[in-house]
Amino acid sequence: MATRDFPIVGDSLALGYRFQRHWNQSMANAFFCGELGAGVFLAAFLYGSVIGMIVGVLITAILKTYFHLSHMGVPERSWRAILRPDRSWISRGAISIVFFTGAAILYIVLGRLGLLGWLGLADSAFGQGLLWLVQLVAVVFAMVVMVYHGFAIADSSSIAFWNTGLMPVSSFSYSFFSGLVVTMNLDPRAGAEAVGMMPPIHSAALIALVLTIIVLAAMLQAANRGAPGARKSLGLLLREGPYVKAFYGLVVLAGLVLPFVLLFAPSSRISDVLILVGVLAGYYTFRSLVFKVGLYDPIISFAPES
Amino acid sequence: MARYGMVFDIRRCIGCNACVVACKQENSLPDGVFFTRTLSEDYGVYPNAGRVYIPTLCNHCEDAPCEKVCPSGATYTREDGIVMVNDALCIGCNSCAVACPYDQRTSLGKDLFEKGLFGQGKITDFEKQGYTRFTPGTVSKCDFCSERVDSGLDPACVVTCPTDARIFGDLDDPESKPSKLIKERGGRPPMPEKNTRPKVYYVT
Repeated sequence: MATRDFPIVGDSLALGYRFQRHWNQSMANAFFCGELGAGVFLAAFLYGSVIGMIVGVLITAILKTYFHLSHMGVPERSWRAILRPDRSWISRGAISIVFFTGAAILYIVLGRLGLLGWLGLADSAFGQGLLWLVQLVAVVFAMVVMVYHGFAIADSSSIAFWNTGLMPVSSFSYSFFSGLVVTMNLDPRAGAEAVGMMPPIHSAALIALVLTIIVLAAMLQAANRGAPGARKSLGLLLREGPYVKAFYGLVVLAGLVLPFVLLFAPSSRISDVLILVGVLAGYYTFRSLVFKVGLYDPIISFAPES
Repeated sequence: MARYGMVFDIRRCIGCNACVVACKQENSLPDGVFFTRTLSEDYGVYPNAGRVYIPTLCNHCEDAPCEKVCPSGATYTREDGIVMVNDALCIGCNSCAVACPYDQRTSLGKDLFEKGLFGQGKITDFEKQGYTRFTPGTVSKCDFCSERVDSGLDPACVVTCPTDARIFGDLDDPESKPSKLIKERGGRPPMPEKNTRPKVYYVT
């Protein structure tokens, strides 16, 4: 690895750090919608919110798919994306989304909207077994969808800031936290009380927020102590460049500090909406900025050692 | 079977970019698309300042990360070690482009084939015959001029270089020019810490 302190050179023909621009805003939108939708479904499932589950599936099935197809250079061939699950996170993710969407819709229709009962199978062993199976598949693959985007990003060892095991963890924590916030806004009655082992939804959201803050802080610290390319990307978020204001303003203040303060306060409809707007703005900005500050390392250096 | 690779002699490269032009001509590349680039590295402070020219292209890695992440199997390695893209299979997801540590992949957006080399929206006859080899929307890269190699010729950039700064050959043949250069002058691969085992080396 070149050890000099190289500048960021953009697209110029000088040796230095180059921005990745291959995964652009449409891909960031796809990743955001995929994670958010699965997170909303999981949170809504845990708190018994049918509207939340439906919205979660729709976000993933429609918005994520739309943005991902719009990113593809040849969208009519996108079915080929499932062909290499043995080594491609894109393949694994595509398959997971199919299983998640299918099982989630089946679960909602059979179990929550009463189709199983209408078919007279609600009390049968077969019906119960079928419902349990689709429920399991839906939840498991929702969690896979929540993390696979992070794995797809982290799999790229070429971009130092991305190449951390904390990326999939941040995907999961952010998507679950956002899912809880969306659910408590869509269905204020859901999670007002504890459900099974889950605390009331506002408490769960606060715990998820704290975990998200810890994961994010750990990611930034890992970047600070990591490869030079990761430190350069971190500098673009924290110190200089066009993304600093967005990071501090939207990701930190709106997305983390504001919800933290409001979740401690007595909940109200207005505070829940403010939390929702702040969290979604912060999460979307974070996902977009991760793509924008990704840098390729300088290839090789031949400058004489001074 | 040969295992093709390339050596760049940094002492000889003068940054003329003839290789870049030859590559664009040989491959009929649209405006703004480069399969090879010559980077410059400035160092020192006047009066002890200098500049080094560093040619770059796809390194045709033995352990190509682009091939590993490709979800459709479009990227593959030939028996002779040349990493290729089958653009009939490519879906244009750009996973290979973000996986390549050397940023040597190019996304061929549809607009590139419409604006023309002179930016006037008109496609010349040269472009018309050349663009047929590409599928708009797919990702492409240097393939060591595989058609020329299959005919027993060297890649266009190698043939064009006026200072013989680019040396192409069989890395498995100890008597080949690139093998000798690597052994005699200590060839360095770019970013060995990425464990991609590139087949392009630099000698000084």
